[in-house]
Amino acid sequence: MYADSTSLPSARPTIPVSLPIAASILWLGALIASATPWLNQLDPVALLQAFWTFDASQYASVMAHFSWAPRVSIAVLIGCGLGLAGAVTQQILGNPLASPTTLGVEAGGQFGVTVATLFAPGLLAFSPDLAAIGGGLLAIGLVIALTWRLGFSPVTVVLAGLVITFFLGAMNMAFLLLKGEWLGNLFIWGAGSLVQNNWGPFMDLWPRVLVPALLMLVLMRPLQLLQLGQASASSLGARVGLVRMLALVLVVLMSTTVVSRVGVVAFIGLAAPVLARLLGARTLGSRLLWSTLMGGGLLLLADTLAHWASTWGDGSLVPTGTTTALIGGPVILLALQGFRNTHHMPGQESSPASFLPRRRSPTLIGGIIVTLLLITTVISMSWSPGLDGWHWTAVSQWHEAWVWRGPRMLAAMLAGVALGLAGTLIQRMTGNPMGSPEMLGISGGAALLMVLIVLSGLEVGRLGQLGAATLGAAASLGLLILLARKHRFAGNQLLLGGLALYVFMEAGLRLVMASGGTVASQLLNWMYGSTWLVSESEALGLLAFITVICGLLCLAVRPLTLLPLGDTSASSLGLPVARARLLLLLVAAVLTASATVVIGPLSFVGLIAPHLARVLGQQTVGRQLIVAALAGGLLLSVADYLSRIVVFPGQLPAGLLAALVGGIYFLWGLSRHGRA
Amino acid sequence: MSAFFKVSGLGVRIGDAAILRNIHLEFREGEVTALLGHNGSGKSTLLKILARQMSPSCGDVSVLGTSFHHTGAREFARTVGYLPQHPPGTDGLTVQELVALGRYPWRGPLGRYNDEDHRLIDQAITDTGLDRFRHRSVDTLSGGERQRAWIAMLLAQQTRCLLLDEPISALDVKHQVETLRLVHRLAEQRELTVVVVLHDVDLAARFCDRLVALKTGELVADGRPREIMDAAMLESIYGVSMGVMERAPGQWVSYVH
Repeated sequence: MYADSTSLPSARPTIPVSLPIAASILWLGALIASATPWLNQLDPVALLQAFWTFDASQYASVMAHFSWAPRVSIAVLIGCGLGLAGAVTQQILGNPLASPTTLGVEAGGQFGVTVATLFAPGLLAFSPDLAAIGGGLLAIGLVIALTWRLGFSPVTVVLAGLVITFFLGAMNMAFLLLKGEWLGNLFIWGAGSLVQNNWGPFMDLWPRVLVPALLMLVLMRPLQLLQLGQASASSLGARVGLVRMLALVLVVLMSTTVVSRVGVVAFIGLAAPVLARLLGARTLGSRLLWSTLMGGGLLLLADTLAHWASTWGDGSLVPTGTTTALIGGPVILLALQGFRNTHHMPGQESSPASFLPRRRSPTLIGGIIVTLLLITTVISMSWSPGLDGWHWTAVSQWHEAWVWRGPRMLAAMLAGVALGLAGTLIQRMTGNPMGSPEMLGISGGAALLMVLIVLSGLEVGRLGQLGAATLGAAASLGLLILLARKHRFAGNQLLLGGLALYVFMEAGLRLVMASGGTVASQLLNWMYGSTWLVSESEALGLLAFITVICGLLCLAVRPLTLLPLGDTSASSLGLPVARARLLLLLVAAVLTASATVVIGPLSFVGLIAPHLARVLGQQTVGRQLIVAALAGGLLLSVADYLSRIVVFPGQLPAGLLAALVGGIYFLWGLSRHGRA
Repeated sequence: MSAFFKVSGLGVRIGDAAILRNIHLEFREGEVTALLGHNGSGKSTLLKILARQMSPSCGDVSVLGTSFHHTGAREFARTVGYLPQHPPGTDGLTVQELVALGRYPWRGPLGRYNDEDHRLIDQAITDTGLDRFRHRSVDTLSGGERQRAWIAMLLAQQTRCLLLDEPISALDVKHQVETLRLVHRLAEQRELTVVVVLHDVDLAARFCDRLVALKTGELVADGRPREIMDAAMLESIYGVSMGVMERAPGQWVSYVH
């Protein structure tokens, strides 16, 4: 009765051969690479025996037993554990890019340990796990609290997780900058170092990884139901919320325990499942199995690379966290090419908006913000603490104070304006409310080049920095465009590509941090936006530049209104879609780069300002652009003022302050309307 | 026939908007009922409440005489199966694997699948005519085949009731008719209670035993197709003036003036 044609009956699908082959190549390669330096001194059998015994008369054998063997074991153990945790996380959220890293769990664990180190060192001596687990639970608890009403919609969960990662990262940095002398060793620990000098840590760790792993396997069948989406899974009798919660708690336990022992080993939990999936692991069972194996192999390889780099370099330590991030970035890029249907992620149905956007008069709102800006300017110029208390500088004396207070305030304000504009542009173009220079990795790209310059030891002026940042921003945008062309710049692909770029930047940053020294603190200051470095001519140059761009943007209002209607509608209305997108992305890149040089890559302003404009009732493009620009300017000029006075006579980076305030605002907004 | 679902005094509010108001309704066992109504009339909401996907603001629903509050998740899933309006992408699952998930309510997280389960899975695949596609990935099937794969999963669930939310809205005429014919046949063979949300009044009248119509959240019509397929009645449901012809016994054609 069914006349459906075409396909032939096919045999039961099996696992493609490439999967076991790739896994064994990975393992063999990693093992050989790891063992090679030792084979000069020990024969293979003796090296193998190093795992359980040693020959006290032979130095190499003792070294192998107490240093090499535990390091290999712990790398494999952690890799396997994180691979499994990653695969489970992806299944829980039905999202090929979820992982303990992207959910904020690892950042939470690190945050917990940092706080404990500072305020309750006794707790660490008692059990380092507790602090880390507490931090991880805090992070995931925040994510859950924020997304509870949305039934854990996968996209929102991952985005909330990312914001929390950034936010906790910024908190960590704030502690580092304020109390750097106490936390110096956290630099290295935070970057994930697997160096071992006995079997103690491994013996400690293995039951803590094995138990959650077994419990995860018990949850396998309910987890499989989640693949059918919330409605179907619950109509099959699975308690979707409970299953997700249990599995998430297990993931948190596993990954934060690892964090508390060896620091953040980022992206193994993301890369391993992605690789397994790309190589053809299809069913949940096979995905879990092969992710676990891939995770072990990957981390062993990454750790060996880190070890080699440390040995061959100038002796400075290269933490494993750096090399895992270097491996993780390309894997995400690969994944982007592989997953064609990420926009069909389960649970991402379009539902009617839960709140009706209000509209308010733009003159009123604009007027209020301009007034606030003026007030901020006056206060910032006049009212400041001195060594002998607060005093007021009269307008007639402003020219004397200008050199100290003026350029940095102007630059901060302009950076805010630029980020507000860039954020609005990007959100409109991608039709993605989470799109922003920070989230798309454009700031990250700019920062990456700056990090490289610092690493290479080159002295370039401010102009050189601006050039480099623009180059970096344009390069990362170019890469994004190449990646996203296939998907015609669809929203989620862009976001995920940005994530990959962020990973690269992170890797560079970790490397610098681990090397320590003055370079590290200089870079930290810049990364978190030290406006005090800005000179008068630079500020004025920025002013002229932003004015020109604003003029250009007037021409772009109508295309921006059309683009969110979708490619088909926009092009059938006569808009050259691809070219318009390209041009607008370029403008966004230039704006971002100019702001990044001043305020660093992590300020959140590009994300918040457009939102703020919407919340304030500006729904059309033109109005949103204007109000977002003003709001961005206001945010950063206030942040600049506060950064000057909060820890007077010390200075906080304004960008860091903006990131902290912005992060809080953003999380609040997310929980408020849910749809972010 | 006894009541399968009993809905009394049901109301749903989202914010200030009342989606459903004071619905009293019984769905009898072994009957195929179509829910009709214009967009936003609350028919999908009513179905979601029957499927326990949503909880009502007021009123109560009971299944087989037991209130919803007193039924466990898997127990409920063994009684009532629900097919959402847009089943999600299945991410590489084959037809057989998808259908096998329908046995979850019976076996739970750890129970082994026995021969009976495998027989039921095969039976469901055969009943929906998907034998040839058994090992194909669900994502690569056409719309009609995919819909049948999901229905097969509901069959393997061995429930006494199917709730289908616009199962034919994305299909062409041929697949629409085939899907409804399949549902009708299965309902007869297995004495299933079926509640289905439909937009096409003619197909509903053709394949269902009973038509229930909602309008802005209130019950406006309830009866045999013969009683509903009437120009004045349809006009009151849809708010446009309509006419009806009975071409042959049990086959109506409605049209808009």
